[in-house]
Amino acid sequence: MSALVTGQGVRRSYEAGGASLEVVRGVDIELRAGELTLLMGPSGSGKTTLVSILAGLLRPSAGTVELLGTPLATVKERALAALRLAHVGFVFQRDNLFPALTALDNVAEVLALKGMPRRRALELARDALVRVGLGDRLGHVPAQLSGGQRQRVAIARALAPNPRVLFGDEVTAALDGTSARAVMELLRTFVTPETAAVIVTHDPRLERYADRVVTMEDGMLVADRRGIS
Amino acid sequence: MLRIAVRSLIHDRSRLLAALAGVAFAGLLTAVQSGLYEGFLYTTSSIVTRMGGDVWVTAKGVRVIDNMEPLSAGTRSTVLQHSCTVRARPLVLAFSWVRTREGSRENVRIVGTENGEPYMPWELARGLPTDLAAPMRVAVDELDLKRLGIHDGPIGDSLAIMNKRAYIGAVSRRARSFTLLPFIFASVDDARRMTQFSDGEVSAWVVDLRDPACASDVVRMIERNPELRAWRADELRVETQRFWMESSGAGAILGFSALMGLLVGGVIVGQTLYSAVRDHEPELATLRAIGASPWRVARFVGWQALFLTVVGGAAGIVAALGLGVLAARGGMEMIFSPAVILKSVLVLIGMASFASALSVRRVLAMEPAKVFR
Repeated sequence: MSALVTGQGVRRSYEAGGASLEVVRGVDIELRAGELTLLMGPSGSGKTTLVSILAGLLRPSAGTVELLGTPLATVKERALAALRLAHVGFVFQRDNLFPALTALDNVAEVLALKGMPRRRALELARDALVRVGLGDRLGHVPAQLSGGQRQRVAIARALAPNPRVLFGDEVTAALDGTSARAVMELLRTFVTPETAAVIVTHDPRLERYADRVVTMEDGMLVADRRGIS
Repeated sequence: MLRIAVRSLIHDRSRLLAALAGVAFAGLLTAVQSGLYEGFLYTTSSIVTRMGGDVWVTAKGVRVIDNMEPLSAGTRSTVLQHSCTVRARPLVLAFSWVRTREGSRENVRIVGTENGEPYMPWELARGLPTDLAAPMRVAVDELDLKRLGIHDGPIGDSLAIMNKRAYIGAVSRRARSFTLLPFIFASVDDARRMTQFSDGEVSAWVVDLRDPACASDVVRMIERNPELRAWRADELRVETQRFWMESSGAGAILGFSALMGLLVGGVIVGQTLYSAVRDHEPELATLRAIGASPWRVARFVGWQALFLTVVGGAAGIVAALGLGVLAARGGMEMIFSPAVILKSVLVLIGMASFASALSVRRVLAMEPAKVFR
């Protein structure tokens, strides 16, 4: 399987109270096509920082990252944003949906960011929402949806542009068990031989959906094993 | 981004209404103050505008038309010397007073011009310029009838002007001086009788030229007479406006009121935009993470500011126009020319841009990685 994202010797430190605090300490990692990877570890272990770096949202203090063959260190901010827009999807702990927009518009507006004509964006958004089981909630605003439904809209928003790589952060943390299972099953369907997903989580119950489980502690990878999907 | 911005704004109705009220208030104050300013400028020099002419001739030392010394009749020959001069119209403009039937004394301004068309400087609401041809016939403005003690049926009614009996032959419309003293129009001869002018004396000669291009030459020639000052009509108008604007402080007062309105409006708009950005920060940061450029996300603020400016500003300016109509009925001059409206719109756009600055800065500084925290 080909690597869609690679990080080598990735380090990231912050200045805190005059001292330098290193939260990611020399991580080597590959996210391969066809894999759903769970990134686990205790709070403060550097998971979120690492995934932000791999997704091109943060620059590492040292080391190199390649996203779909593009070395991110050499890419300017604007080109990096364009790369994310074209090939990367995100799902977060909070749905981050615009409260004034319907489910359909929340998804369609992201497609419009890619320069897609409005009519085409609406078609694709509708398809994506049908895929996540919300075909009958297209005209609902977030306040009219349950937490699980809102998260499914957020997944539809991430998947509608057909990204190659999906990054998720605690995507089930705010959901009940049933909704969490539904969300993970949806994310599982995203992973094909051409795509990859990495999900940051504390929840060991999600291992059953993962092809691979990577564990971090104190800014370093301490385990990398097969999942049980 | 337009849809997201406008819908997000409309979604929070109480905040939207407060912001629209703020912009409308700023628009209203800006337009009203600008209209009053233009109206003030116009009324300070309305006699010059209304009388027209290419060159005005006054006594040496005169700075504004409201403070003119009498010129002797003999000066007319100097004024008419240049071959480009078609005619020199006499103008008497002087303060006088009216004793009303109730016994009170009202100061007035007498405007004496040659009788008949086209020299009656104001339009008439009732009567004709020729109705002023008979001796001691005057025109009074419709706004001043009550003040001068004339309650009904003004035509034919009489006034005691400087203890001389004059009869109302016509009623003028919207003839206002910025001093708010009533204008009384009469023939030049009658005007002299109602003031302290001697026979043949005038306040100014209003000169019509065959070709306005000879104005400079005519001015030079007339000013060879050391007793006279000649002005191009535009020059006298501007000088008069500047004199009253600077000496009365009206410009500063009107400008200060407009500034207050802009400050209040700007603070409300700024606060609305800033809190909208703060409230939607996770969503906007998500768009940044997905790949929207910072400036594209900043359009969220731009569209909201534009929406508030257009809708609130339009409401404010329409309200100002309505207020202008009401004010005109009460004799207050507000001028809403296209230039005044355009200036008000530009000022509002400037205010909204200034008010947006902090919000735009916050959006531009937004870290896309923030969504992962």
